Amino acid sequence: MGTFIQLVVDGLATGSIYAALALAIVLVNQATGLINFAQGGMAVLSAYIAYVFVQLGLPLILAIIIAIVLSFLFGALVERFLIRRFERGDPDTAVVVTIGLLTLVTGICAVLWGYNNLGFPSLFPLTSVEILGAVVSVRSLATAVTIVVIMVVLQLLFLRTKLGLALRAVADNPASAAFSGLPVGRLLMVGWGLAATLGAIAGVLVAPQLTLTPGMLDTALVYALAAVILGGLTSPIGCVVAASAIGVLENLVAVYVPLIGHDLKIAVPFALIFVILIVRPQGLFGRKVVVRV
Amino acid sequence: MTLLELTDVTASYGPVQVLDGVSLSVPDGGSVGILGANGAGKTTTLRAISGSVRTGGRIRFDGRDIRGLRPDQVAALGIAHVPEGRGTLGQLSVRENLMVGSYLRKDRKAIAGDIDYCLDLFPQLQDRVGSRAAALSGGEQQMLAVGRAFMAKPKLLLLDEASLGLAPSTAKTVYQAIRRLRLESGIAMLVVEQNANLAFSLVDTATVLETGRNVLTGTSAELKGMDEIRRAYLGG
Amino acid sequence: MNAVAATARRPWVRIVFAAVVAVVLIVAPLALPAFANQTLVRIGVYAVAVLGLNIVMGYTGQVNLGQIFFVGLGAYVTAYGVNHGWNILLVFAAACAVAGVVGLLVALAAARLGGLAIAMVTIALPIVGVPLAKRLSEFTGGSQGISARFTDAPDWSGLDNDQWQFYIVLLVAAAAFLLARSLVRGKYGRAFAAVRENEAVAASMGISPYRTKVLAFTIASIFGGASGFLYLAAVQYTSPETLSFGHSISLLAAMVIGGAGSIAGSLLGGAYYVFVPQLTNAIDPNLTTISQGAILLAVLFLLPGGLVSLPRVVRRLARRTDAARGRSTGRSTAAPPAQTSEQNAPAHHPVPDSALDGHEQTERQDGP
Repeated sequence: MGTFIQLVVDGLATGSIYAALALAIVLVNQATGLINFAQGGMAVLSAYIAYVFVQLGLPLILAIIIAIVLSFLFGALVERFLIRRFERGDPDTAVVVTIGLLTLVTGICAVLWGYNNLGFPSLFPLTSVEILGAVVSVRSLATAVTIVVIMVVLQLLFLRTKLGLALRAVADNPASAAFSGLPVGRLLMVGWGLAATLGAIAGVLVAPQLTLTPGMLDTALVYALAAVILGGLTSPIGCVVAASAIGVLENLVAVYVPLIGHDLKIAVPFALIFVILIVRPQGLFGRKVVVRV
Repeated sequence: MTLLELTDVTASYGPVQVLDGVSLSVPDGGSVGILGANGAGKTTTLRAISGSVRTGGRIRFDGRDIRGLRPDQVAALGIAHVPEGRGTLGQLSVRENLMVGSYLRKDRKAIAGDIDYCLDLFPQLQDRVGSRAAALSGGEQQMLAVGRAFMAKPKLLLLDEASLGLAPSTAKTVYQAIRRLRLESGIAMLVVEQNANLAFSLVDTATVLETGRNVLTGTSAELKGMDEIRRAYLGG
Repeated sequence: MNAVAATARRPWVRIVFAAVVAVVLIVAPLALPAFANQTLVRIGVYAVAVLGLNIVMGYTGQVNLGQIFFVGLGAYVTAYGVNHGWNILLVFAAACAVAGVVGLLVALAAARLGGLAIAMVTIALPIVGVPLAKRLSEFTGGSQGISARFTDAPDWSGLDNDQWQFYIVLLVAAAAFLLARSLVRGKYGRAFAAVRENEAVAASMGISPYRTKVLAFTIASIFGGASGFLYLAAVQYTSPETLSFGHSISLLAAMVIGGAGSIAGSLLGGAYYVFVPQLTNAIDPNLTTISQGAILLAVLFLLPGGLVSLPRVVRRLARRTDAARGRSTGRSTAAPPAQTSEQNAPAHHPVPDSALDGHEQTERQDGP
């Protein structure tokens, strides 16, 4: 029982990382209609930036805050100068652009910091706490809680503030929103900035565990995409639930189903997807999207 | 005082020239109609004003040249465009749609008052305030679109084919509400409408477009009396 | 320029040209040094893989991040077959068939999802493929990989090994290219293009987007399997590294850079895949990724049709300069390359030009 709880908590922690990336992907998709395959790569770059400031002697929390602010700017600039041109066209072409961006960003990390694994300090203490007879990592618990809090804050932003209303309006119908005076371009930049921020938070929280390397979040991205497919592109809550489920499930399967084990656990979410989606193509929570010709 | 003036405006979508020299003017608080058959360029004229299409010629609003401005910049100057097809923000609620209309305003109390006014103007929306806008009927969406435009407290309202896709009685109700809005608020209006009868119920003067050019301009009374108009647009 | 184009269109000119090319290809390996042959062989291997990717991605518009998986799969099946003494034709058939069947299964599920789901799902293929290859060590030799030599030149041919390999690759690649060409020019090609443009419109024309996508994807995987066979023929060794995520992206980049939606572009893509990473690795291995990304983005921005569209673009620029100088050429510009992004109507409300670009340079400050 103790192991089980441990695995669940750890699973929720990794699941929250996937959830953050998945949410970022959904945010970008709602605003600009494309999937940003570079979301994980950008998050890794953010973690490296925090690393640089830590190396310069700044306290970790300050380094993280600076990295988050810079990530927001980076996301906004990427939308304006790289992605803008491809937003009105074929989404598949836009995806290839994001893949190019992923390669570029990974390459930048490789050139500046090499492929060696770098140690990144943990924001949370590496102690354990006892819950229901199980020994649970404080870091896992804190990571999961932090990301949940941030997601709640983001939801509040979207649902309760004028900015959030504007972002949703632009995501819904940019041309019509412009007629009410909304500065569409600027709002899209904000959307991408927020997504990059989400990614940055995920990146710095998971870096201590995975160790910093250019390809650190490649696998996480795959999980995040699986969560988006399962949860549906139109449902942020669905993605979060799916991501958490994936995190917990992969941990449990890795330990309790030795045939699959740790190396093949990545196959689990996709096996799940194949099964579920044959029955329900719009995902567990999503709404069927009507395509108007 | 002339609020809006178009002089020899041209517009094209890529290689296709849609407007070939359109001129018209709207006085302060006035109401002008744009009539014509499908494809004459009526909608494009409105889009030229709101900055949604590349144009040539001159467009002056409130004394300044607005040609080449982005739609959100045009909106900030006091022009509210209710587009063809309504442009409803489907995933947002009715109330949120109205709130978006007031995006550029800062007077929160007045905004709340204006929302109440909208709901009074369009009572059908009162029960649907919390519903997703995409779930509304065509007529309700049209009312919502006009309401959203009003929420910006514009000086000029651009109305594009408000009767499109609506049952005749619904269209009449919508136009009655818009007429009341005009009387009570004094907003100037430029109305594109294929249904000339409805148009004449709202506008003082009108211009008729054909293949991107003005062919006829006059007061509603004059135009209603003309045989061509009667035959072409009023059903004989 | 026009006179040349007109001449090129005459049928007998094309036949002679094709014959000349064929002769050159057949004679070349006998004249070239071994190193050159080996390079050309590798270009051929990847050209076939890129060609397959082009069919599903360039022509049918479905982003496929898993092509390298099928290459690896084909290579492993080939190694297995060869090491178990199967007839070489059977091995080839098996490589293509196994890859094709797996591709079919993946497509049946993924194509259902619509939109970008194929991209999102195929990304899992190399990522799941690597640990899978390591795990199934009886078939794959695990992390160590597996070797198989079967392309030593037989004595009766009197050829060297590299020349023999050249002919094998030439045979398969030529068959693949000719097959692709006829496919793309026929009714399937039209179905691919229709689905790429607008699925709803294609459906209304009686073309099933789902079936077309599944077909395209399956063909792509078959080509991938064939490429894997050729890979083993050339390199004689395969390992889990062959189907890694990094290679997957490189293959995709090669396709775009060579020319999406172009048969000839696939050949250029293969050449790019062989030369450029090798070059950058020689300068500094850490530079490879960043240069890949930079080149890919540069191509997407400046030359969306890929390298294969370069002559056409240059010609158009020259014509524009001529016209600007007052020397009209009298011919309208060529049809835009099928692979640019402009014409499609996405389901998502497109962000209109006017809302974004208007006159952003002006200093006007609008609302809060």
